[in-house]
Parts: sequence; C-alpha cells; structure tokens
Amino acid sequence: MKKLWNIFFNGIINENPTLRLVIGMCAPLAVTTTVANGFWMGVAVIFVLTASNILISALRKIVPDQIRIPIFVVVIATFTTVADLSLKAIQPDIHAKLGVFVPLIVVNCIILARAEAFASKNNVLDSAVDGMGMAIGFTLALILLATIREVLGNGTWWGIRVLPAGFEPAIVMILPPGAFVCLGYLLGGLNLLTGKTGEN
Amino acid sequence: MADKNILLSEGELLVSSSPHIRAEETVDWLMWQVVIALLPAAISSVYFFGFRSLFLMVLGVATAVLTEAAVEKALGKEITIKDGSAAVTGLLLAFNVPANAPWWLVVLGAIFAIAVVKQTFGGLGYNFVNPALTARAFLLAAWPQYLAGNFPLPLDTITGATPLAILDGTAAGTLPSYLDLFLGNVGGVLGETSALALLVGGLYLIWQKVIDWRTPVAFIGTVAVLSWAFGGNGGLFTGDPLYHVLAGGLMLGAFFMATDYVTSPVTPKGRLGFGVGCGIITVLIRLWGGYPEGVSYSILLMNLLVPFLERWTVPRVYGTKSAQA
Amino acid sequence: MQYLAIIIGGVLVNNYIFSRFLGLCPFWGVSKQVETATGMSMAVVFVMVIASAVTWIVNKYLLVSFGLQYMQTIVFILVIAALVQLVEMVILKVSPVLYQALGIYLPLITTNCAVLGVALLNISEDYGFLESIVNGAASAIGWSLAIILFASIRERWAFADIPPSMRGFPIAIVATGLMSIAFFGFQGLFRGILF
Repeated sequence: MKKLWNIFFNGIINENPTLRLVIGMCAPLAVTTTVANGFWMGVAVIFVLTASNILISALRKIVPDQIRIPIFVVVIATFTTVADLSLKAIQPDIHAKLGVFVPLIVVNCIILARAEAFASKNNVLDSAVDGMGMAIGFTLALILLATIREVLGNGTWWGIRVLPAGFEPAIVMILPPGAFVCLGYLLGGLNLLTGKTGEN
Repeated sequence: MADKNILLSEGELLVSSSPHIRAEETVDWLMWQVVIALLPAAISSVYFFGFRSLFLMVLGVATAVLTEAAVEKALGKEITIKDGSAAVTGLLLAFNVPANAPWWLVVLGAIFAIAVVKQTFGGLGYNFVNPALTARAFLLAAWPQYLAGNFPLPLDTITGATPLAILDGTAAGTLPSYLDLFLGNVGGVLGETSALALLVGGLYLIWQKVIDWRTPVAFIGTVAVLSWAFGGNGGLFTGDPLYHVLAGGLMLGAFFMATDYVTSPVTPKGRLGFGVGCGIITVLIRLWGGYPEGVSYSILLMNLLVPFLERWTVPRVYGTKSAQA
Repeated sequence: MQYLAIIIGGVLVNNYIFSRFLGLCPFWGVSKQVETATGMSMAVVFVMVIASAVTWIVNKYLLVSFGLQYMQTIVFILVIAALVQLVEMVILKVSPVLYQALGIYLPLITTNCAVLGVALLNISEDYGFLESIVNGAASAIGWSLAIILFASIRERWAFADIPPSMRGFPIAIVATGLMSIAFFGFQGLFRGILF
C-alpha cells in the first residue's frame, strides 16, 4: 500500500510533469486563461493517461518490442478521441475554448513517456496509480497557473469575482506574455524553495 | 566601462565599437550625459503637462533605483545604483506614460523593467531587450485603457487624441501645426511631444560622442522616406514625411532608445541596419498596424535581431576568408 | 490576397510560439545553438508542408468521404508518424548530406505538436488544398523564425550571471515571454486590408 502511495505522490510532487520535469508545456500555457479551462483539460488528461497506462500495462507481455511505439500511439490516440468526443458532449463551451489542445493530448510527451518508462514495465495496478498521480500532478499545476492568471488578469477565480471591483485587472496575464512570464517565475520560485539550480 | 562594453561583444571576436570609448569614460559618466540630454525634454514635459509630469518622473526614477538596489541585495551582488543606468531606465519609462497615468502604473512598470527585464538576465549588459520599452509594452498589454487612446492635451486639463491617432483615422480631431509638433504643444506621453527638446538632447549626445549618429539618422531617415512614399492617400510619394518625423515617439526612440548600448549592435554597419530596420517596422505599424504608433515595438523587434546584425556585420579579420562570430 | 493573409498571419501575427503555444518542447529543447536551431527549423518546415498536404488529402478523400471524421486524431497521428519515417528514408537515399543535417531532428518531429496542430487547424479553418500547404509553410517559417532568434539570444546569456534558481527552463520561459511582448507589435497588422 505504501508503495502505491509513493507512486501516486511521485507524479504530484517529485516528478510533477509540468512543474518539475517541464515536459508537455504547450497545453499548460495555452489553456490556463481560466481555472475552468485548466481543470477540464486536466480531467481529459487524467482519463487518457490512466486509461492508456492500464491498457499498455495489460498488453505489455504480448506487444513485440519492435512495434511497441506505434501501438502505444494508437492506444493513446484512441483514448484521446474518446476524451475529445466526451468533453464535447459534457462541456461543449469549454471544449470549444480548448480547441486543438484536446486532440493534441496524443502528442503530449507526458503520456508517451509514462507508457514507455512505466506502464510497459509494471503491473496494471501500479501503472494505473502512476498514470493517475502524474495526471493529477499535471492538473494541479494547471489549476495553480490558471489561478494566478485568472485572478490577476480578470479578477475572478472560476468565474467568481474574488478581487474588489476597484482592482483593475492586468489583461496581459491572460495573454501569451503573461503566461510565459508567470510560468517562468513559478518554476524559478519552486527551484528557490527546493534549492534546485539549473545551467544557463 | 571598458570591461562592461566588452561584455556586449562577447564571443570569439572582440568587436571594437564606434564611437570608441575612452578609458576615462565610465558607465557613470555616460549615464549622467544621458540624463543631461534628457533634461530639455523633461523640462518641456513639466511645462506642457504640469507638475504631475515631474511627480511621475521622480516616481519612475526612485522606483527603478530602489528595485535595482533591492534585487541586487537579495541576490548578494554588488549594488550598482551609482552607475545611473537604473535611473535612466526609470526616467525613460516615465517618459513613456501619459500625464494622467495612475501612479502605480509607473511603479509597476519600473519594477518590471529592472527586476524582470534587466536583473533576471544578469544585470547591466545582459538584458536582450530595452528594459523601459519592454515595460511600456507590457503595461500597454496589461492596462490598455491608460496607454492607448486619448492622452492629456498640453496646457489643459482635458484629454484628446494624439496627432498620430488623428492621422491614422482612429480618432477624430484636427491635426496640429508643424510648429506645435516641433515645440511639443500636442497630446502624447510625457517625454515624446517636444521634437525640439529631444533634438537638442540628441545632438548633445552625438557631440559628446555618447551615441553614434548612424542609428538615429538611419531610423529617422527611413521613416521620412517610407512615410513620404507610402503615407499618402493619393498614391506613391504623396505622404507627409515631416509630419511623420515630428509626431509620435520617433525623436525619443531614435535618439534615446534605439541607441541603448546594451540592446543595439556594436558594429557601425550593424547600427545603420538597426536604424533602417526600426524605421521600416515603425512605418509598417503606423500605416498598416494595429496601433497608431510603432516606434517602441520597432525597437523591441530590432533588439531581437541584434545578435544577427552583429554576426553579419563584424569586420573581417585580416587574413581570414570570412568573419565568424 | 488570401495567401498573403495566411503568410503574414502564420509568420508574424499568430506566430506558433508567441501566440499559439505550439511546438514549445523542441523550441526550448533544441535552441542552445543557432546551428542546431536552424537544422531543426529546416526539418520542421519540410515536414509541416508535406504533412499539411497529405493530411488534407486524407481528410477529404478518406475521412469525409466515408464519414470517419471522428477518427481524425488517430489517422492524422499515424499518417504523420509514417510520413516522418518515409521522409527519413527518402532523404537518406537521395541526399546523405541533407540526412546528416536533418537526420537527428526528424524522429523528434513526430511528437512536435506543431505538426499535428497545423494539420488539425487546416481542417478547422476550412482551408483548401493550396491554402493548407501555404499555411503549413507559413506556420513552420514563423516557428523557425522564433527558434532561430531565440537561439541567437540564448547564446548571448551563456556567460551571464543569472540568479541560480532562474537558470535553465525558468529564464528560457521568461525570455520567450519578453519576445512575445515584442511580437505584440504585429497585432492587428493589415487588419481591414488582408484580414
């Protein structure tokens, strides 16, 4: 049980794909204009990553090594399509705002990386927990970034006004420069907290 | 100064820049020359826009200097506020906001310029875009209500359209006369309106060999030619070049921003190319862009091309076939 | 005229890096030197143009004809993956020199979301065949412009005294933000004339 908890929290804290490994960064920057967008993007990724990890782990003994990558891609693309169509049915407005970034989950490095590095080598339960942990880590990172951007850029959180009416929102925060600058300092701040330093 | 300037041309080749910096010319000396050169524009700004203008300028300078000191202290670096570069950045930022801008706009802009654009990248000599202009563009994207649209009119308490906005057709109003444009008796941000005052300061800097004549001459010349060629409604070469040269932020940009040591090329040819490029983008934005004025964006975009301008224009080393940087 | 609008839009106004957030992983990953950034750029232009053409044909004559649009994501990613393999083999056969220049970048391109992104955007924008190709080329050139400029700037701060916790990704991301501020100058360019 302890092992499962470790696998689960690994994706949220130590190896958070967005904030620690810094991979698959297109969606985190593109969809975090509002918390709601970030949350639903996260939900889609939780579904795709968990489901693909489970299936790839289940198939790991029968898939020939040489053609494993194409098979992983087909599995991931199938679940991405399911997520895309489901989101369109459940949340049509959000789906329209997320645009191409839902189908683009298929080329998100996080998913293929977990398939290759974890699911193809571990049992189904561990792989499911790993996928869920990673995807929840991704979702929390998106909500964090979206919170900063939506509050400063619009004065609201998930559409609810949180700053007084006198506050004049910095629109730039929900525009591309705000996304980049905000994420850059967020990562820098985390490095400062954890004592990690990089190279130039 | 010597070592500071070499930093700008790091790489295998040491490019000697023109004007050559004499040994006794320190960063402090250069920056105080720039402050002196900005004084006429600052004074005319106070004359036309009142003491609010002076307040914003002092606020910009103070915030920039304090931010520089605070960030350097936090990072455990040597405090370099005495070199005057932060003060110049703060003053130039204040020059880029209108007199009716709220005080916090200037404060946030100065913090952004120094902490984000300059110190995050390693301090003086390492920022790749002009701090004051980047901060201005950031403020414009954040609070367009204060930096686009109507600006305070001189010697008056009401706001009105800027000359370029009227010319652009995005705002109604009568075009001011050339004399008003030249003296600065028009609406605009604090430091840009008086072509005369900026020209006096700019010529002083050229005379003192603080800046190279190439950049402003190429910049202003290109704007004049292109606005003459394409700026008219009656076909080619029916535009009004004098109007385009005197209006907006061209004088301020060409003499004081495009000549920034850190973010412009060190090679003479590179400086010419930099000025021409700024001129082309300025006219592109003024005539066909989404903003009435394009001077600040043109300089920022050319800042991004500086490494290439230097690569392409380094003098050939004697005995080698082609220069490499 | 509509081609000019697509070109200006793809290269400057709606730049894939500074405005659309597509292809960021290789943008930060292979931008340490101008030379490698240029090699990657050529490979991306090459693949994005071909991918735009092929996915357009596949969409029109396979997916739409048989009512299989819901298979778009799966089919497109397979087409792109196969295409990259094919391009790699053809280049190896035709020009070993070009292969040496592009070879190491090609496998990375399958997961470059700019390629699948442009294929999907071509369809959602309802572009015709030629428009799709022009859009593929313009978007790729815009991406290339961004990465080459970024690499040249990045080379300059190799010796800078950047605060330790900002080194690596954080500084690269902040720098991208500052570049995107400069690219705001192109917002609204030729609006009412081309767009």
